[in-house]
Amino acid sequence: MNIHFKLSSAMLNHVIGDLVRPHPFAAERAGFIGCKVSRSREGILILGHTYMTLQDNWYTDDQRYGCFFNADAMRAAMQFALTNDASMFHVHMHEHMGLPWFSRIDLRESSKFVPDFWNVRPNLPHGTLVVSKDSAAGLCWYPSENKPNRISRITAVGFPMKFLERLT
Amino acid sequence: MASEGELRELEQLCNGAREFTEFDRNYILLPQLQLPDGCTPAVVDALLCLSARDSYPTRLFYSQQIACKNALNWNAQNVPILQRNWFAYSWNYVASGRPIEVLAQHLKALR
Amino acid sequence: MNGRFSRQSFLGANSEFLFRSVRAAIVGLGGGGSHIAQHSAHVGIGRFALFDPDTTEFPNLNRTVGATFEDAISKTPKVIVAERMIKGINPYAEVWPMQLEWQKDFESLRACDVVFGCLDGFSRRAQLEESCRRAMIPLIDIGMDVHKGEPYSISGQVVVSMPEKPCFKCLGFIRDKDLDDEGRRYGEAGGNPQVVWSNGVLASTAVGIFIQLLAPWCPISPGSAFLGYDGDRFTLEHDARFAVGVNHNCEHFGSIGDLGDPFWKP
Repeated sequence: MNIHFKLSSAMLNHVIGDLVRPHPFAAERAGFIGCKVSRSREGILILGHTYMTLQDNWYTDDQRYGCFFNADAMRAAMQFALTNDASMFHVHMHEHMGLPWFSRIDLRESSKFVPDFWNVRPNLPHGTLVVSKDSAAGLCWYPSENKPNRISRITAVGFPMKFLERLT
Repeated sequence: MASEGELRELEQLCNGAREFTEFDRNYILLPQLQLPDGCTPAVVDALLCLSARDSYPTRLFYSQQIACKNALNWNAQNVPILQRNWFAYSWNYVASGRPIEVLAQHLKALR
Repeated sequence: MNGRFSRQSFLGANSEFLFRSVRAAIVGLGGGGSHIAQHSAHVGIGRFALFDPDTTEFPNLNRTVGATFEDAISKTPKVIVAERMIKGINPYAEVWPMQLEWQKDFESLRACDVVFGCLDGFSRRAQLEESCRRAMIPLIDIGMDVHKGEPYSISGQVVVSMPEKPCFKCLGFIRDKDLDDEGRRYGEAGGNPQVVWSNGVLASTAVGIFIQLLAPWCPISPGSAFLGYDGDRFTLEHDARFAVGVNHNCEHFGSIGDLGDPFWKP
């Protein structure tokens, strides 16, 4: 399945600006992007609209994980999805140049919490993104499919256009 | 925005009336709206626009053109709203108000 | 590819690949759109979605780039004329020639990275902008007018509508009054005078803006743009209305409900 994730350049800058902020104990920050969906001739379009920062007290201090958010964070994200009929995409950052990818822990944890969004919005795709300083990658869980699809394209729309990921 | 009661009133004519806002205009989707006798088709999806647009204070759009005994000027064709295409005849001066009353005024053109 | 883009290497080492992989929609393949098709093909844009329901007629020949005398006799669809021209320049281009109004194929429009709008009328422009905003696609609109009077006067514009930046209404390019006036005139806004040289200026500029969007060669980044064309003095410069709109956050396309397909189903 061809999946194209789009967000504005302004949102990408905002996301990165938030994710690079130091946290009292978490090694990495995370957030959620509330999205809308449509279909194109080539597949699915996922359109990022609202970035939800995770508050400092929504993180759990667990040295096993770089970033571990608590039930309050998940509740807020679920509420946003429900209220706005939104697809939710978790996002975090790896601070290097070049194409990022999810760690084994990222993959394991996201496969647990991302499908939970189907409890509130079962007909929408949800997923997770990882951004670097100049690139991005993502996974999308499509309704009624157990395994995620790799997001084929990630574009930041603005001046200039940034094609952060382009598999097709 | 229509109240729940106003949306329920519309259920007399169709099931599942639903409100949308697109670019600051308010619409009510009327799926499978039952049209007055003599119309072909007899049932269509309709979209009631309760906001002013294109010099009309309110407007009723249909998912396709309707044939009826009256000659209508279908001056809006393939108008994209909510990512679907809609058709409307010229029927002006129906002020915004209670949705079922606005709808009834627009449907007069088909009687 | 045989150094065919060597003269534009200043656009970056990756520009050839980048241009080849983007898809441009051209909505309207008449006087403005035909120029855009030609210039885009020359610069190396590799994928096209062409929308126009019309066929070539003799009155089109004064300005439709690529159209021939034979096309007017045969009434060749304008999208086929454009496809032929694009592929004559770049035989490897992928072209979707759609002989229909763009709104009859939302999914093809949404697959594009940019939309060039070459339509007549404010209502049609506003409708196209709404769909581009829903799919988060930059829209570059061009148009020209010949104003009847003593003497005649030629004018035009290139207007860019970028997601989250000022829209046509923010920029004052489209006003509710204009939409109402068209509504009262019952729609059809075509048949206005058109000439090839003005369309050429506007179309070239539109393509240049798109290339700047993809592979900027300088740090100027307007975000949105409203360039006014004075066809009597042969100038193209920022319209005064742009100065008013440029710092606004768009008031008209802000809500999450204005994105995506409201009736989307898996």
